[in-house]
Amino acid sequence: MEMRHLHALLKQRHSLGQLEPKGGKLAFVTVPRENLRGLLTELRDVHGFTHLVLLTAVDWMEDGLFQLTYMLNNRGRDMTLGIRVMLDRQEAQGDSIHDLWPTAATYQRELKEMFGIDFPGSPRIDEEFILEGWTDLPPYRRDFDSLAYSQQTYAERPGRVTHDPREYMKSKLYPDGV
Amino acid sequence: MGLREVLTPFTVWKHVFDEPVTIKNPIGRPAADRYRGFHQNDMASCIGCGTCEAICQNAAIDMVPVDGIETRTGDSGLRPQIDYGRCCWCALCVDVCMTGSLTMSNEYTWVDTDPDAFRFVPGLEEPWKDDEEGYEREGKRVLSGIERIHMEEMPPETRISNFEEIVDGYSRAEAILEADRCVECGLCVATCPAHMSIPDYIAAVRDQDYDRGLEILYETNPFSEVCGRVCTHKCETSCAALHEGDPIAIRWLKRHIVDEVPFDRRLELIGKPAAPTGRKVAIIGAGPAGLTAAFDLARAGHGVVVFEALSHAGGMMRYGIPEYRLPYEALDRDIGVIEAMGVEIRTNCRVGRDVTMDALRRDYDSVILAIGLNMGRSTRVPGTEGPGVEKAVDLLRRITDGEEVPVPERLVVIGGGNVAMDIARSMARLQMQKYGRVGVTLTALEDIDHFLADREEIVESREEGVQIFDARGPQEVVRDESGAVTGLRTWRVKSIFDADGRFAPAYDEGDEQIHEGTMVIEAIGQMADTSLLEEALTEALEWNRGRIRIDGAFRTSEPWLFAAGDAVKGPDVINAVADGHRVARTVMDELAAREVMQ
Amino acid sequence: MFNFKPDRTQYPAADADGKLEIDLETGKYLKLWQGPNHPGITGNMSVELTVCGDEVVEGKTHVGYLHRGFEKLMERRTFIQVFPIVCRVCVPEPDFNEYCYAAAVEDLAGIEVPEYATWMRTLILEMGRFNSYMMFLGGIGGALGLGITGQWMTYVRDLMLDRFEELTGARIYHMFILPGGVRGHLPEGFEARMEEVLSTAERYLDDIDKVMFSNSVFKTRTKGVGVIDPKLFEPYGVTGPNARAGGVAKDLRKDSPYLVYDQLDFEVATATDSDIFARATVRRGDVQTSIDLIRQILRKMPKDGPAMARIPNVLHWKIPRGETYIKGECSRGEYGYYLVTDGTGYPRRINVRGPSYTHAMALLEHLIPGTNISDVAALMVSLHTYPPEIER
Repeated sequence: MEMRHLHALLKQRHSLGQLEPKGGKLAFVTVPRENLRGLLTELRDVHGFTHLVLLTAVDWMEDGLFQLTYMLNNRGRDMTLGIRVMLDRQEAQGDSIHDLWPTAATYQRELKEMFGIDFPGSPRIDEEFILEGWTDLPPYRRDFDSLAYSQQTYAERPGRVTHDPREYMKSKLYPDGV
Repeated sequence: MGLREVLTPFTVWKHVFDEPVTIKNPIGRPAADRYRGFHQNDMASCIGCGTCEAICQNAAIDMVPVDGIETRTGDSGLRPQIDYGRCCWCALCVDVCMTGSLTMSNEYTWVDTDPDAFRFVPGLEEPWKDDEEGYEREGKRVLSGIERIHMEEMPPETRISNFEEIVDGYSRAEAILEADRCVECGLCVATCPAHMSIPDYIAAVRDQDYDRGLEILYETNPFSEVCGRVCTHKCETSCAALHEGDPIAIRWLKRHIVDEVPFDRRLELIGKPAAPTGRKVAIIGAGPAGLTAAFDLARAGHGVVVFEALSHAGGMMRYGIPEYRLPYEALDRDIGVIEAMGVEIRTNCRVGRDVTMDALRRDYDSVILAIGLNMGRSTRVPGTEGPGVEKAVDLLRRITDGEEVPVPERLVVIGGGNVAMDIARSMARLQMQKYGRVGVTLTALEDIDHFLADREEIVESREEGVQIFDARGPQEVVRDESGAVTGLRTWRVKSIFDADGRFAPAYDEGDEQIHEGTMVIEAIGQMADTSLLEEALTEALEWNRGRIRIDGAFRTSEPWLFAAGDAVKGPDVINAVADGHRVARTVMDELAAREVMQ
Repeated sequence: MFNFKPDRTQYPAADADGKLEIDLETGKYLKLWQGPNHPGITGNMSVELTVCGDEVVEGKTHVGYLHRGFEKLMERRTFIQVFPIVCRVCVPEPDFNEYCYAAAVEDLAGIEVPEYATWMRTLILEMGRFNSYMMFLGGIGGALGLGITGQWMTYVRDLMLDRFEELTGARIYHMFILPGGVRGHLPEGFEARMEEVLSTAERYLDDIDKVMFSNSVFKTRTKGVGVIDPKLFEPYGVTGPNARAGGVAKDLRKDSPYLVYDQLDFEVATATDSDIFARATVRRGDVQTSIDLIRQILRKMPKDGPAMARIPNVLHWKIPRGETYIKGECSRGEYGYYLVTDGTGYPRRINVRGPSYTHAMALLEHLIPGTNISDVAALMVSLHTYPPEIER
């Protein structure tokens, strides 16, 4: 209820999508990229959502979109709001919020490295974070095939062979198919 | 900072003489009873279904053949081999195991210089293979459903007065839940005579893709609507799920797919036959074997004519199986698809009377004999000659044809197979309609646990008021002075077969009963009516114990003549379907070979 | 008494990125790598220190030494296949991963967990918290040269691992909390054996109080050192004991009760000084809370009942499109799983939110300048960070 009330309130000033509640304490909402900063600032300064829980991305490759999820929490009222910003996957660029939450710089650095989403102006955004000398696709993108990578990079110890029970039974009991 | 804070830490010097708490030699320390150590596998109860391999997120498990383990019905003969270089000891394989054969020991300390030693088949020779300790799941498996989704049926008191179909069929929601239980091991495929792609069509139900499901069914079975209702479903006896629960309702799921696809859509999906080849094949008998062969041949572009002596196509599916199990419209739809392939079915056309074998041989490139078993056998006990004694198949045929059949208030059926159940239950319905009560007694040589009939047939017969006397051997049809039947005299059966396994029932003569009834119906088996072959051909053909001899590809000793179905193999619809496919393939191979020769 | 006030004016000012323009050629500065193999580093990460004398001018954290790409691996596994790998994100307290993942799946799949399982999960989580604190109390002593605490606490932790072993079938990666419930019930006589462990622990903790918390050396080296201004808590996402040591009683067990915490009586430990000592005392208090909670849970939990809810066949379990965030209070602060599903049999995205992500990166880098080299280890341990949560 509280969440709906808040949503209605915010909607007067920001271009918000539908509220998608998950139980009483958690809800998700989508905002256009240009509205993000204003919304986050108001949530932080006016509505007590002072805790940036996490910032991460979801790759909706089929739709050509990256979803950024900013999870904010109001501890006193036990409310968590997941704010989604959809980005064009071709020009993956978000707006840095390190000045709102300094710790966001770490998240943004990781997103740059793992998803290839840029946050111009974010401190040390181009520094390597986890990977070293990585030249392939950003590995958390859906089109990076981690299985193929591991097959190319590491050798299997030889000597293993398996059988599909159904095919094996066929070969044993009715090899010509009848 | 006071002196106390400097001195207090020294008070722990009191521990200086404590026993050390370290374990001097950790190798050999027994782990807890639940510890997840190296695997154990009970080789005898493992069925090689590969569910352990499917769930393993590390790809640590291979299914491999093991010396001394044979591939047989319900057991692939494979056993899991585990690569401990990959295993993460999560025991999901134990939790998902369909039989409970796979467990874990609490053994975890093992040093070896050979890395291949850590890749082995558990259950063969490890020292801990019979240890009691180690991880076992609590209770039955919880990672896949144990219980079959209940199938709604008409209650006995409602269904006994009519011939309406008993089984409701699954709703979509029910079917999805039932299909969800399948683990796709595929052990059932080998058991199915037609080797239907059972896991694949069940997956189609899960995915709610009925078009795909129907196409999969038609790859192996043009009588899926029939089989979805009356198949003997031996597949369900080799289902991995039965070891700790109910087998998947494979038959009902098959029916569900066909039920969900409208007939017109079915025709669309099956599509058009191939371009005409100009070849012609005659098929005698419009039962499941003949029509399946007809479907395959026609689909491949051959011209097919099916000759059927009776007024409708379907054979035993129509004339043997009662309507409450298989409504005629269901059968008609299956046949309709076959006819849509361009198959011509000439009903009321008896070979030997309306057309001769010679004419068929002359006018067609090949002839397939699929005449089934339509003559009832007799017990030949005293009193079976004369009025009041009927053959089950004859009565069933007359009921189907809508003929008036005699319905006495009390009657006795001899036989413990599905045909006996069919006639008992059909007559019970007619009695109900005529007298308002059921008076059917059924006797059979076998004890109830060894009846040839399906379990549910026995259960439902009893629900409908059929009284079953098992292990009773018929001795005489009792008649009064006027010659009218008054009952059946039986002795208790001591054994059915002799020491050599030959049929030679032994009776306890002291245990005699008279089962009252003014009609006795014999349902102890059928034989083929081969009179259509006529003398010359009968002479020319090779025979095997009263049946036409065929080879593995259903060729008779005459190069133009092929035979399939109950008349040569049996014993049920799905076997006939399998035969139909096989004989069609042989015929097509022969036709192709002749093409090359010319 | 020995309060050291660094004279920051002698060093160059930081640029917009927070970087100092340091000319190593001058010979005034030295680069010092603490880690990835260093007893004062919690796990595999390193801190690149720029020092002038023994004063640290700048510290940069480096991770990537144990990146296993868990979040990506999870996207390639079915919902049940994710279960065995989540615990491996965090060695010292793996159970939070199991709980958060299971609860996230249950939330999106609409599964109601049986009551017995929720009690069991709470028990497991408190046992895990206890163990995590054992490592902390051993580690914080170790970072300051007090080796004995590490030995004692490792022993006590081992006793608790014995209880884990008999309950779950494993010592470290328990793999006990399945989506749908838990894998089993308490073994016979478990309560008595647990009580033995808890009272042994209390005896050893008594000694820890004497040898560490009452120790003038420990106090001197930790009081007033590594102070986090509570004003930084929100900007830097500080949660858990690190915040509680600064007087903010952040504890999700109270703030947003999950499992059966609303049916348990407990107080969260807090302190006010926000220095290394305060953070250590808060954790010392928390251990006692965990001990009390374990006793309470064993007393209050149902004696029997189903351990698992009915779940779909895991071999083809699909979950409708949706997203959720499940969090809990682990020994280091807010732990959470953000799960996104897309209607297939595989997660679209799983993001693991570990408290170390903020504590050991941005916060640590902020706290390091101005400390002494010998304090860096204690400072880092006092934040109680586990690098695997950072790189996952």
